[in-house]
Amino acid sequence: MGIPKVLNRKNRILLKELTKTDFKLRYQGSVLGYLWALLRPLLMFAILYVVFAKLLRIGGDIPHYSVYLLCGTSMWSFFTECTSQGIQAIVNRGDLLRKVSFPKYIVVVSATLTAVINMLINLAVIIIFALINGVEFNLSWFLAIPAILELYLLSLGLAFFLGAINVKYRDITSIWDVLTQALFYAVPIIYPISMVASTSALAAKVILLNPISQAIQDIRFGLITHETITTWNYLGNPFLSLIPITLVLIILIIGAISFRRKSKFFAEEV
Amino acid sequence: MKRQIGTRTEINDDSDLAIKVKNLHKSFKLPTEQAFGLKQAFFNRLRGIKGYKEQKVLKGIDFEVKKGEFLGIVGRNGSGKSTLLKILAGIYYPEKGEITINGTLVPFIELGVGFNPELTGRENVYMNGALLGFSNEEMDKMYDDIWDFAELKDFQDQKLKNYSSGMQVRLAFSIAIRAKGDILLLDEVLAVGDAAFQQKCSDYFNSLKDRNQTVILVTHSMENVRKFCTRAILIDNGLIVKEGDPNKIADAYTKLWQ
Repeated sequence: MGIPKVLNRKNRILLKELTKTDFKLRYQGSVLGYLWALLRPLLMFAILYVVFAKLLRIGGDIPHYSVYLLCGTSMWSFFTECTSQGIQAIVNRGDLLRKVSFPKYIVVVSATLTAVINMLINLAVIIIFALINGVEFNLSWFLAIPAILELYLLSLGLAFFLGAINVKYRDITSIWDVLTQALFYAVPIIYPISMVASTSALAAKVILLNPISQAIQDIRFGLITHETITTWNYLGNPFLSLIPITLVLIILIIGAISFRRKSKFFAEEV
Repeated sequence: MKRQIGTRTEINDDSDLAIKVKNLHKSFKLPTEQAFGLKQAFFNRLRGIKGYKEQKVLKGIDFEVKKGEFLGIVGRNGSGKSTLLKILAGIYYPEKGEITINGTLVPFIELGVGFNPELTGRENVYMNGALLGFSNEEMDKMYDDIWDFAELKDFQDQKLKNYSSGMQVRLAFSIAIRAKGDILLLDEVLAVGDAAFQQKCSDYFNSLKDRNQTVILVTHSMENVRKFCTRAILIDNGLIVKEGDPNKIADAYTKLWQ
């Protein structure tokens, strides 16, 4: 089962059609339909903006703070949507797995691709807001691409690993729900990392070792302002700075291997 | 927990062999109590309970299918026919034994797999087609034929949930018969629709037989076994108990209850 077989014609057709169906079904039966892909993150952003920037007055020292916040929340929802949809993919498509033989990873990837489409729509919104906000186009915008890709690979690795366990132990879905809630506060999304750094430099460093923080800060650095504190400019030590990326690769590899091993029995266990 | 795994090999050569199954075993682990949770799994381990019991479904199946054969597999409910078909299709893994498949194999374990009630007939046709390996462009070409055959043209933009179950099966069958492969695996798909549609299905199976398509058919209809099959196998309790002429097998099957 080499690489060419993994993405052969039949699998590509299936992946495309499953993704299309997933996306259609997501907004099926709602009056605003696909508009929700746009509206949901914007409304989430509005709530956080009012609570954190206006009421609690956080982030005054960061230029373009509202876009900075929007960027963080959008990328965070990308991560949570990707992982939660990916983890449930095998169980949700159990009916298909029991009756057709195809590589199981397709189901997980198609579920996460819906999140990718939503993220791309959000990215367009972020860029429009940034331009309105007075952010000027800069070549560093392209730095966001590898960072987004890293965030996606991390989500995919987690979805593979946890999704395979979820087939047998459905508790994973609930555990992950709670865990992401906790993770949300461990990542500098609604609070600027500078706030943590001013009380404890060590805490800020630990936070920046989390690949999610690293990726989101890199995206903000690339897209919005070079004043963003990133893993690269804050940790100082280049070897230390490579820890988050190494973690992502390890999670992805372990996830893929364990998924592949367990996937043989999905059809009977799901 | 390590499980031994048999082999399923796909080859492609000019020999007259289509499928070869050697000493195939399969058992399932059936949960004895609700084991779908970490808590239960944890307690089971503490108490030393396995949490499942082993159900042997196939206990050493051997057979061969030659190219151009129309093989019927019959047996009572729970005899292991469907499990055998699912292993041939590559859905379940063989626990022990060897399977060789020569050529492309197209399985129909059930009609309308992947059908979604919330999508329109049109959308479902493309989805179902993708499961058979057809691209959008290929589906475009056969799209009209599919609806003509199903006699449901007026309903193509209705959501599937507004179809009667008979209509859904007809649509699914119309898509299924487009599939091209060296070997077709069919599980109980003949019993669909009203008398007129049954006739169409019957014509389809006759056409398969006429063009020497290799087919494996799992069925409870002895009428179909006699009519279409060139050879048949009777499975009981996970073993092949009789093999040979379809008429004799159909008789033996009927005798299981006497």
